[in-house]
Amino acid sequence: MTGAVTPRDVPALLEIGSERLDRMLATTGLWLDIGAATIRVRSDSPAFGTQLRAVYGYFPAIENAPWADLHVRIRKSTGVRRWLKPQATFHCDGLQTFDPFPGASPLPLFEWGCNWLIGRRLNDRLLLHAGAVERDGFALVLPAMPGSGKSTLTAALSQRGWRLLSDEFGAYDPSVGMFQAVLKPIALKNESIAAVRRFAPGAVIGPEFPKTRKGTVAHVAPNSDAVMRCSEYARPGAIVLPRWEAGASTRLEPLTQSSVFPALAFNAFNYSLLGGDGFRSVVRLVRQCLSWQLVYGDLEEALGALESIWPRVLEHRMAGPL
Amino acid sequence: MERYGRADGVLVDSIGHLWAAFSPSSGETTLLNDESAAILEVLEAGESDTAGVCAALAEDSGIDAQEFVEAVAGGWPRLLEAGLVNRQTDTTAAW
Repeated sequence: MTGAVTPRDVPALLEIGSERLDRMLATTGLWLDIGAATIRVRSDSPAFGTQLRAVYGYFPAIENAPWADLHVRIRKSTGVRRWLKPQATFHCDGLQTFDPFPGASPLPLFEWGCNWLIGRRLNDRLLLHAGAVERDGFALVLPAMPGSGKSTLTAALSQRGWRLLSDEFGAYDPSVGMFQAVLKPIALKNESIAAVRRFAPGAVIGPEFPKTRKGTVAHVAPNSDAVMRCSEYARPGAIVLPRWEAGASTRLEPLTQSSVFPALAFNAFNYSLLGGDGFRSVVRLVRQCLSWQLVYGDLEEALGALESIWPRVLEHRMAGPL
Repeated sequence: MERYGRADGVLVDSIGHLWAAFSPSSGETTLLNDESAAILEVLEAGESDTAGVCAALAEDSGIDAQEFVEAVAGGWPRLLEAGLVNRQTDTTAAW
């Protein structure tokens, strides 16, 4: 898969009128270049355009491109469902693969469905289940299980000068030995929404969707720098396994290569599928990167701890093979 | 004595104080200790049995072969289960 070449003179979604966006979605579609892939999305859902623009605002409004990796439609319900508890449905390549969402929640359905497709289809990359940000050309990768505070920490970093690559996929390209963006809005759940609002009052956060299967969700919009640079690769820098604990004091403890290996390999979306390439990729990553376990209960402290190790990460990576 | 060969395409790499091994035939990744990784390294030269592996390890390390017998004999089941080695058929038995 390859991301589309984004024309620099294309206006961002925020810069075009809502009528034009709705028309694009209803006709030829909108091409979203997320770095490692391009998504073509079409929709007749009345709420979708506004919600999409709230969190993809800096993405260029590409009306036509020669290629898309994912062809997605968000459709409003038909028949009696138009009036009675309207629904939104997700379609890819003509198939409706998921249960419908409430008609007022097409954005979470789009996000969830696209993540599912990316996890299944982007198999020329090793897809670590991880948040990923970049600074100084190197990636800070945050592999973790759901509930570990990975997305919250990724969101916080993205608001303090780290370039967002993804909050869900550490997309490692074995052919070049680097990470690539899978740039989508950061999905926050429940208390983490307020936590990020407090931490970064300037963060652009889309509408809140209560009562989803994961509780209340809201999405942090990638900033313009992340969007403009989404095709830039990042060399492996450091691996940090985050774990949020209420009230915990921040602890950052070095990890051995042998303890990081399973955390990367067995928590990846497609490690098994990639066979020997997946194995070699993980071995390479654990050897190249310094690794830590981060336990945190406070975002400011957590970011301070990560800032404090970064010079050491750079020194380590500059000294070894890139 | 039972003979074993390293399975085709097995990948072994050190990761800190342990070793990671991948078997393309089973698709399984296994973390190994030094002894198990050493067995696989010896088998890279060709199939062998417990005594042969112990002798090779003794030659490499200068330690008495008897010191390795327990670890090598005990390592085969795990290596077999992970698809990292194969039990070899003794073709000479029929003769």
